[in-house]
Amino acid sequence: MRSQTSKRTGEWKSRIASELIEILGTDAVISSEDELIAYESDGLTGYRVKPVFVVLPSSTEQVSQVVKLCNREEMPFVPRGAGTGLSGGALPSREGIVVSLSRMNRILEVDIPNRVVVVEPGVVNISVTNAVSAEGFYYAPDPSSQIVCTIGGNVAENSGGVHCLKYGVTTNHVLGVEMVLPDGAIVKLGGMTLESFGYDLLSLVVGSEGLLGIVTKVFLRIIKKPQMVKTLFASFERIEDAGASVSAIISSGVIPAGMEIMDNLSINAVESTVGAGYPTDAGAILLVELDGPGAEVNVQTPTVSEILKGNGAIEIKVAVDENERQLFWKGRKSAFAAMGRISPGYYVQDGVIPRSSLARVLGEIGELGKRYGLRVANVFHAGDGNLHPLVLYDPEIKGESEKAEELSGEILRVCVDAGGSITGEHGVGFDKKRFLPLMFSEQEIDTMNLVRCAFDEKGLCNPGKVFPTPRTCVEPGMQNHSSKPPPKEMGEFF
Amino acid sequence: MSCVAKLSDMVSGFHIPGSGDADTNALQLGFSPEVILYPETVEEISRVLDFASRNGIRIFPFAGGTKLFLGNPVSTIGAALSLKRLCRVLFHEPSDMVSTVECGMEIREFQKIIGRENQVFPVDPPRLACGATIGGLVSTNLCGPMSSRYGTCRELILGAKAVRADGEIINLGGKVVKNVAGYDIPKLMVGSLGTLCVLAEVTFRLYPRQPSSRTLVVGFDDHDSCSRAARSILNADVIPTCFEILDEKLSSEFSATRGAKRSVLLRLDSFEDAVVEQIKQVKEITSGESASFVETDDEFSRDLWDSVREFPFSNEVSFSSKLTLPIEDSIKVLYDIESASELSGVEVRCLSRPIRGIVLVSVSGESSRAHGTAHFLENLADVLGGRIMFSGIRHELREKIKTWGNFGEALLLMKNIKRRFDPGNILPGEKIFDAD
Repeated sequence: MRSQTSKRTGEWKSRIASELIEILGTDAVISSEDELIAYESDGLTGYRVKPVFVVLPSSTEQVSQVVKLCNREEMPFVPRGAGTGLSGGALPSREGIVVSLSRMNRILEVDIPNRVVVVEPGVVNISVTNAVSAEGFYYAPDPSSQIVCTIGGNVAENSGGVHCLKYGVTTNHVLGVEMVLPDGAIVKLGGMTLESFGYDLLSLVVGSEGLLGIVTKVFLRIIKKPQMVKTLFASFERIEDAGASVSAIISSGVIPAGMEIMDNLSINAVESTVGAGYPTDAGAILLVELDGPGAEVNVQTPTVSEILKGNGAIEIKVAVDENERQLFWKGRKSAFAAMGRISPGYYVQDGVIPRSSLARVLGEIGELGKRYGLRVANVFHAGDGNLHPLVLYDPEIKGESEKAEELSGEILRVCVDAGGSITGEHGVGFDKKRFLPLMFSEQEIDTMNLVRCAFDEKGLCNPGKVFPTPRTCVEPGMQNHSSKPPPKEMGEFF
Repeated sequence: MSCVAKLSDMVSGFHIPGSGDADTNALQLGFSPEVILYPETVEEISRVLDFASRNGIRIFPFAGGTKLFLGNPVSTIGAALSLKRLCRVLFHEPSDMVSTVECGMEIREFQKIIGRENQVFPVDPPRLACGATIGGLVSTNLCGPMSSRYGTCRELILGAKAVRADGEIINLGGKVVKNVAGYDIPKLMVGSLGTLCVLAEVTFRLYPRQPSSRTLVVGFDDHDSCSRAARSILNADVIPTCFEILDEKLSSEFSATRGAKRSVLLRLDSFEDAVVEQIKQVKEITSGESASFVETDDEFSRDLWDSVREFPFSNEVSFSSKLTLPIEDSIKVLYDIESASELSGVEVRCLSRPIRGIVLVSVSGESSRAHGTAHFLENLADVLGGRIMFSGIRHELREKIKTWGNFGEALLLMKNIKRRFDPGNILPGEKIFDAD
């Protein structure tokens, strides 16, 4: 992207402000320094950048006009949902605009017979389930921030949740999107159907971290609520035994809706905060949630119970009613917040490892914690190997936050060395882009850039994220070796 | 030495069509390349593509050659690149339920290998029994009845090693079931018909084998009672592995329920007690619709599912088509399609897979009438907000029926992607894109 620094004068700013106001109205354009502060960061508050403007469009057409203006001015723009992301994906771009989708928050259509709900991107995740719950349906992806995070953000990050082991992540539940491309064009990809033909562009857009355009409408698949849900709680002396139970349960033919492990440090943090009734002397606890047809769950429950016993569970409880089930989950759901009780600061990671290496990786994380002199609490989606190590530190102690950040990076290295990933659901964003080369070669990252260039040749849409170093879009063919021109009749295909 | 001859030097094996024993898979190509290359490693594929892209030689990748009927016909091709010698399971960690397999491996063989660990790779595409490979599965994204529970291979793919048109070897995605690092390019490869990269290896998630499996066939006297029953099943607390609705002709030809106007075919897999309970439930909720029931034995159900899996891709028809529709419409349209075919005097066979919103149709008849039916189906998909794909189009209709219907607004972006990945159109873009 060409540097436009010289154009960003006061006169330029007031001209752009007038144009934005003309498109959106005065109440939808924020430019005062005080108000911009709220948009300086997302859930990853360690990084802050003040944008030039924040705009709050109410329609796809307005988004398109704003993006066309950005395109003409070569001004970067960053889409933003609820700002709950943990990877800095909605961090503003210097000299750019933040396009907040918070006013596009309508549920446009609820179609029960076809099992589709059409929403604007600013709709809060839990609202989708609330809209169809009375009919016996729900929206499956349930990130822990589901009472505040929005569908637009979920699409950008390909969000998961505690139930994605059985039901998949956002990409398995998005049937289509309407989006504004980085040149302002409005396109619809997919729609009311589960399958489509041609290149699967939808799979690129879901999880693209806002780099391919701005999604303005989403077609979501809803599924039937399970007839029966049973939640089992088990405590173990050793976390390794909890891990072994997870593999054994799946090998038996049972795929639970979710399986969550918490280690001793997390248990104690939670108990001192919400009192979920977890045994504070346990090495780990495991929650297993089974759901489905009653006939199936009734068979699976004793099977799982036996497996837990066989793997050394000290105590096994099956929730007798919804109240007890909620209590089991209360501890898990408040785990992040509870860390504030035992530490003034913490850094969350999102690495993924193969289930089979759980015990080894947890051991290595423990060793790393000792080496850095920091405590690491472990809370994780055990079924799919998605770890959320919480590195605890005191920001008042000089150098400790840097140390925590470094330790977090080391943990990601351990995950990748074990055959895993640097992120399972939070996204690469700004925070982890430097770690992308741990997983991918230059050529592989270049290949990802081919996708970005196919959507956003000028690189204006959410720049500075995901890619570890800035990449431009070379004219097709130029990045390759000097090939002979294709036969004329072949060139006609493009 | 010609350029094509140089390509032959880069791989472990090659065959010049017309000389010596022919490769039976290659005989189905439908065109005659100058050479068929048989690489044994991904590095050999890389050398071929590097050289081909420098020299403007067009390459056609294939493996089992069992689904070459999909997509537009290809034009000038220099070399066909067979992946059949890349046929090993490279990685299988049973406790992770993840496996990496080379693209030339037959799906059946792969299923057999992972089956030893009591795991399943839950796909059943057409041509499964006659050599369909992993590479063909991914590049065509064709699926079978089991997609009702497990989705297509799009839902199963975790990672892929591929060779770009310029010869670069890329390894994208990963080996874990949850991973959002970078764009999901492995999914982009699904259904791309080998037009973007040559796939060499794919990593999939696997599932545990269910202890018990039963098939239930329910016959109905008319369309309406079948539709009501199908909706009730969709809303019931049962999780079918397969759920298909057959029209009258298919009901009879597949020996599902002779004389019935419609049949519903269900396969339920779970623990024995749970299967029994779910079958009981289906019988209860459909018994009010004058339904007849057959719980099939193993052999009969195997034959039945084999027939369903292969439908509608046959050489004996004017064309086959696959419609993707909203769920409710995929139940309703069987009646519309049947009525329209009676009026136009063509022979139509029709199957619906309601959980996926899929309708499969085969049409036989006089050329102009068959063309009229194709037009009707295309309109139907369009009006209902769905999509359509045609295949096996009889020669005289090829100019008249567009294979892919209408890609809509996605077309421009698709062309951008192709142009970025393969600016020289070394790989056969014409399988997907019509000439402008």
